[in-house]
Amino acid sequence: MNPILYIRDLEKTIDDFHLGPLDLSIEQGTITALVGNNGSGKSTLLKLIMNLVKPDKGNIKVHNTLVHGDNESWKELVAYQPQKIIGWDPFTGYTLKNLIAPLYPNWDDKQFQKIVEIFDIPLHKKFGKLSQGVQQKLNLALTIPRNASLLILDEPTSYMDIPSKKLLIDLLVDWMEPGNRSIIISSHQIDDIRKLSDYLYVLHNGKKIGHFEKEELVENYARYWLSSKAPNNIPGEVSREDGVLISSNPEETEAYLVEHNIRWTNRSSLEIEDVITLLLSKNNTIGGSQHGSHVNS
Amino acid sequence: MELPIRISKDSREPIYHQIVNQFKALIAGGHLAAGTPLPSIRVLSKDLEISIITTRRAYQDLEVQGFIKTLQGKGTFVADVSEDLKQDVKVTSVHNILENAVQTSLSFDYSVQQVKEIFLEILESYESKKGDN
Repeated sequence: MNPILYIRDLEKTIDDFHLGPLDLSIEQGTITALVGNNGSGKSTLLKLIMNLVKPDKGNIKVHNTLVHGDNESWKELVAYQPQKIIGWDPFTGYTLKNLIAPLYPNWDDKQFQKIVEIFDIPLHKKFGKLSQGVQQKLNLALTIPRNASLLILDEPTSYMDIPSKKLLIDLLVDWMEPGNRSIIISSHQIDDIRKLSDYLYVLHNGKKIGHFEKEELVENYARYWLSSKAPNNIPGEVSREDGVLISSNPEETEAYLVEHNIRWTNRSSLEIEDVITLLLSKNNTIGGSQHGSHVNS
Repeated sequence: MELPIRISKDSREPIYHQIVNQFKALIAGGHLAAGTPLPSIRVLSKDLEISIITTRRAYQDLEVQGFIKTLQGKGTFVADVSEDLKQDVKVTSVHNILENAVQTSLSFDYSVQQVKEIFLEILESYESKKGDN
């Protein structure tokens, strides 16, 4: 199957920030969480996909069409929700809906009504008068019903309350039901990553750390409680504190421990947030190539 | 419907395998009757906090083994499973549980003879309970 989004050798420099080189393929029917530290280039990547920023190098294709070419037919296939919207402040929700809905041939008005209802969005108020959380809700109500093949959400829930975040997860799960839609969501919300994502695309200071399938990423790590003294720098070791060793290659680590007669009392897996913390830690020495779990893209 | 499926990420048993085995046990034990609709791959993935890649693999395995069936456009349902197959599942799952218990005991440095004694003790306690009734 053709990927809905295909990125090759993408690079962009803005002042002293360099993004890339990045490769990424997004398959139909999948949800990818875009994860990275603050300033890692997540929003820039999403703007590059939307052709709002021009790349210095590389290609981006949506459904086989270059986004930086003359043919703009791809725009119908993508619905993008930026972090900040400029120019909506003087308009009410009603006005915005009447401006936006006609632009999208697949607009689903029932879906719009449903989102307005479950989030209790006051459509008669001016956008600029709404709290940031309600602005995000209205923004979602104006983005999801476009029913594009690819939905791109840039930190959609950062100001939303906890119940609303849960409602959005259910909404998006429901929206994915047809099976041929895809989502890219940049998020710092651990629940979005746990409950929604199939893949994680991890960026650190503009560099690609990796593109991982969620369980494969977690399975690459294990924590051992060592019961006897062990030398430093055991194969696979990424950290050690008070006899608790974290390995990014459990197989190698265990082979070494067994061979050297070092016993451990317990072994556990890591939580996905622990793994992300390790991937994004400053002295991260885990080169992408050491990971067996890279998605072939 | 939320299914009573719980996965352990610490287990060495692959996650898709855990899902397959728990479904089989629920179906063989009569907790999921033939024709019961099952959650979509996306919904089950959300509930179990795993990727659709893993869930899809589990559903494909269950379908190949005849425990569930997918009807185009309608969803996934519990299949009509023969009594023989249900019996097989029960036998296998009891066997696996006992084997795990033995392995745990041996890893705590119990001898086979000691494990046998513990096992008989437990069985006797059940027999005496029965006698009380």
